[in-house]
Amino acid sequence: MGRTWSSMHDFEVFLHGGGMVEVDDDMPDEYRAAVFRFIELHANSELMGGLTERDWIPRTPGLRHKMAVLAKTQDEIGHGHLLYMVAADLGVKTRQEMLEDLFAGHSRFHNVFHYPARTWGDQVAICLLVDGAAVPSQKSVYKDCSYGPYKRILKRIIAEEGFHLRLGEERALRIAQGTDTQRAMFQQSIDDWWWPALRLFGPDSKPDDRLARWRLKSEKNEVMRAGWVQKFVPMLHSYGFTVPDPGLTHDPETDVWTCGPIDWGPLKKTMAMDGPDTARRIAEASAAWETTRWVRDALDAAPAGAVT
Amino acid sequence: MTPMTPGTAEFLLAFADDEHLMGQQHTEWIGIAPFLEEDMAFASIAQDELSHAALLYAIVTDKGQGGPPDDRAIDRLAFDRNADDYRSAQIVEVACTGWAHALVRHWLYDTAEELRWSLVARSELEPLRDTAARAAREERFHVRHADGLIDVLVRTPDSAGRLAGAVNDVLPLATGLFDPVAGEAEAVEAGVTSAPFDTLLPEWTDRVRARFPDIDIGAIAAPASAGRARRHEDFAALMARMNEVRSIDPTAIW
Repeated sequence: MGRTWSSMHDFEVFLHGGGMVEVDDDMPDEYRAAVFRFIELHANSELMGGLTERDWIPRTPGLRHKMAVLAKTQDEIGHGHLLYMVAADLGVKTRQEMLEDLFAGHSRFHNVFHYPARTWGDQVAICLLVDGAAVPSQKSVYKDCSYGPYKRILKRIIAEEGFHLRLGEERALRIAQGTDTQRAMFQQSIDDWWWPALRLFGPDSKPDDRLARWRLKSEKNEVMRAGWVQKFVPMLHSYGFTVPDPGLTHDPETDVWTCGPIDWGPLKKTMAMDGPDTARRIAEASAAWETTRWVRDALDAAPAGAVT
Repeated sequence: MTPMTPGTAEFLLAFADDEHLMGQQHTEWIGIAPFLEEDMAFASIAQDELSHAALLYAIVTDKGQGGPPDDRAIDRLAFDRNADDYRSAQIVEVACTGWAHALVRHWLYDTAEELRWSLVARSELEPLRDTAARAAREERFHVRHADGLIDVLVRTPDSAGRLAGAVNDVLPLATGLFDPVAGEAEAVEAGVTSAPFDTLLPEWTDRVRARFPDIDIGAIAAPASAGRARRHEDFAALMARMNEVRSIDPTAIW
């Protein structure tokens, strides 16, 4: 039997003291709902990320290269799988309910997966810029995460995302050293994915952010975003690519790059399930889910123990 | 006689092409399989098959000498040959867009593949012997995976009917796996493989009958042997998809 707290105040004192919440604890409803929404969003995003990448896997230019990208997307789906289990244990929705809400367009996923991967360059840009944003975001959650089951799963996810990011960096470098055709393709992908990836961090954190108070986040969005800009601007410049930000500035004293004004309109549209590829992505996922319903129905109808 | 003769290379290419295209077909299921565990299972099996293909192509490219794999040489064999030069069986070329067909193909192919590796387990060609030892371990899991699902799906009339329909469609193409391939006799003589693959066709057929006892296997006509020289009508689209990025710039390294 888990622990109980007599009030939200007592619970927050527990959190501020570094306490870790476990699934069988009698946590306040608001905390349970917030943790659930956070993990469900993460799980949905891992799965939708896999769906964004999947189209290009059969077209991967190289046999062993294909094994690497397949393993990468398998990891992403696997992260979704683990996260759905952690979320389901909170007792708010079952895994099936979460998936059906996602495929019905009733629950959210990260902004970047509302965009289409139009070229192979996009596939590599996702692996570089999006995974490059996901890693610091996830690390900031992991660092001081108050919900034990999520923190333990994040440790594995972050380790695997680190490999993905290296895969993205290696491939971007090969393209940078490649032909004019390759470089032109990748420049277009940077132009298309730079801003969506940057907006993944979200607007500046509010001073009274409840998720920070409850230790689901340990870093402000703007700090992580600035770190991402500082990492990728010099990298892409050194590869001979440009960054599509006319307001980008560089302080020669500190060698710090700062992005120009950010248009949050596209982020709002994706949050309203109205991104450039939202409808197609959800319709395809939903159609696949329906087409294979007979398999799940047959497994559900099997007597216990029949599935080996 | 050195085991690595031109006939042996032909024999290995047929095996590699099957593994390559089977793995390729499995990659299509990630993200749209019936449930998340299946997304991952098909992806995992696809990686194993692609890996077997890469190892087999590597034996051809380095003439069995071993050493670090030359990815560009492997890819030239895997992607750049003319359609007529492939030696794949039609079961790995056909597009299976329904999951029942994909599952049945997976079972039929892996049951045959498990037998196929057993023939080269004591090959005179050392890298092939090493690859066979690894593949045999993996294949047990592949067949078990398919068996676990089929065990349950045959119990429900709707799903059993879908599987039966898929067996009817896919089985005739699966028998083509046992068509003799160029170089096989030479490979047998050189000790690369212990016997022609079609000597195991009766064993495979027995396993198919045991797996699908309610289906009249004998009534499903196999087409005349194509000798692995004729490509399935889906092959051109498959190759176009595989080569879409490579064909953008043939000089590029990705």
